[in-house]
Amino acid sequence: MIHLGFPVKVLDVAGLKSHDTRRWRNDPHLSVSLAYLRDTLGYLRQQEIHFYRLSPELAPYATHPDFPQFHNQIAECQRELAAVGEIARADGVRLSVHPGQYVVLNAPEEQLAERARREVIHQARLLGAMGLGPEAVVVLHVGGVYGDHRAARERFVRQVEMLSLEARRRLAVENDDHRFSVDDCLWIHGRTGLPLTFDYLHFRSNNPEGMSLVEALACCLATWPANVPPKVHFSSPRTAMVVIEQRDAMSDRVRRRTRAPQPTQHADYVDPFAFTDFLRAAWSTELPDFDVMLEVKARDLALLRLREDMARFAPDMARRLV
Amino acid sequence: MEELRSDWQAEEVAPEEAPVLVAVMNNQRDFEIARQDGWYRIPVKHAPRRLGAEYLAFYQTKAFGEEGWAVNYYASIRRVHLVQRWDLLPQEADHPRADDWYYKIEIGPLQRLPHSIPSQRLRRITFIPTTLARLLSAGEINDLWLGSEEEERLWEAFKRNEIRVERRVFLREGDEAYLIDFAALCRRGKVAILCGGSGPLGEGSGLRERPAADYELAAAGWKVMRFSPQQIEASLEDCLALVQQAIAQEGGLLEGSDYSSAMEQGLPPAEGW
Repeated sequence: MIHLGFPVKVLDVAGLKSHDTRRWRNDPHLSVSLAYLRDTLGYLRQQEIHFYRLSPELAPYATHPDFPQFHNQIAECQRELAAVGEIARADGVRLSVHPGQYVVLNAPEEQLAERARREVIHQARLLGAMGLGPEAVVVLHVGGVYGDHRAARERFVRQVEMLSLEARRRLAVENDDHRFSVDDCLWIHGRTGLPLTFDYLHFRSNNPEGMSLVEALACCLATWPANVPPKVHFSSPRTAMVVIEQRDAMSDRVRRRTRAPQPTQHADYVDPFAFTDFLRAAWSTELPDFDVMLEVKARDLALLRLREDMARFAPDMARRLV
Repeated sequence: MEELRSDWQAEEVAPEEAPVLVAVMNNQRDFEIARQDGWYRIPVKHAPRRLGAEYLAFYQTKAFGEEGWAVNYYASIRRVHLVQRWDLLPQEADHPRADDWYYKIEIGPLQRLPHSIPSQRLRRITFIPTTLARLLSAGEINDLWLGSEEEERLWEAFKRNEIRVERRVFLREGDEAYLIDFAALCRRGKVAILCGGSGPLGEGSGLRERPAADYELAAAGWKVMRFSPQQIEASLEDCLALVQQAIAQEGGLLEGSDYSSAMEQGLPPAEGW
């Protein structure tokens, strides 16, 4: 059985936030974020969705060096974290988190790398405080190249070794769309043991080694421990024209111009035919089941639409999707 | 990659769209706790489906005399913690619900709204999820609910034509509750006006909630009128005429607080939670 998931923001329910988004002056807090998360879990239950990516800002400013007043939020919310985790477990919802783009573990500057380590450790602690099992992972990209691809990979490995045991147990590495391929991630796996999150669109965008889809997917799935369902990212490239509106300062008229989308941009919804082909390829070689995070801009709306599309176009496969 | 990542994570909302939870305040002691000690409590088992919010506003009941049956105050939410009742109210450690779990919602100073938001029909309410913009602009309680586009259009049309129906009425049946988008309580009968799907359920009865089926409403004595989004879009005036006709057939709308117990939700006990 494959669980379909979506990231962070619920679009189907107006005003349902993923976390306390208030700025530091307004004193946001993890406990308020957890109230939103409780509501989100209620929505997931209603829609029978069993896979969800948490906001990485659930505990606002929790690792920000300039705001020590926010650093103790996990300790302040032990009971609330446990309660929300209990709801997720009772409903069979797999939770994961993807730290923001500023978390670059392999940054050459120690200050940046140390901040990234702190963030990964924090996210792992948060998942641990919810009492979640090893399936709740912190997914991270390798980071930047900084002019030396090989050294950048090696630096990532060294930084992983500096993480807490709890953080290393939760961490998973994802191939990206132009810097570190599946093959690079396999190299990292060989030295760290970290499981690999296979990203379909990134693989299609960045595959210098010319691996086949099934080969790359199989290699990534094999990096996961036997008791943890592997996690895969799926999305379709955006093909829609990009419309840019600009107000002309002189005439005050709005001018529209168009441009082609970036080749690596994500679409709003999932191409159901590409998804069907992907699953058929995976299942034709009897690879183990995995969970699929849909990295598309329409988030839960895209998930619900994909379910409908699969029931219509590939009912045999739809039965294996939750 | 970076474009998408930043897009997913940027979720700052305009201040006026900040979520607000309107909650019932039915006694002076709890009001003083909110004002002086800065907290409000909701039992976990009666908590609304939408608990997360940036602001908490209070719908005051008849216990508040001239300020009653209206929303007059709101405050920013600072923390939401889980505590047991004996911990919240240690002087009532022998209370029958002393071991029950509550959400303790810690709030900032109470702020008075620029104008009161009354319930024209002295309605009993537990929770309404809304936005700060709605809270600051609502003329009456029924303006607070956030409905689908069709529901909002219908509501605005009812107001323009002075058809005084009530929005979002929950009906209880055993351990379940179901929702009527608009209820017209008339002298000789009841009219349920439904516009297909409407907004989220879950204003906090603690019951299992679901949309109402026509036969259930009919069995409970309601005359059922359903309007599709297409009907509301294409012929709003015809929809209004049909509603007015149905109300007239049922003897016209009731006034004041003369309301059926069918309107009442899973409300807190008279002495409070």
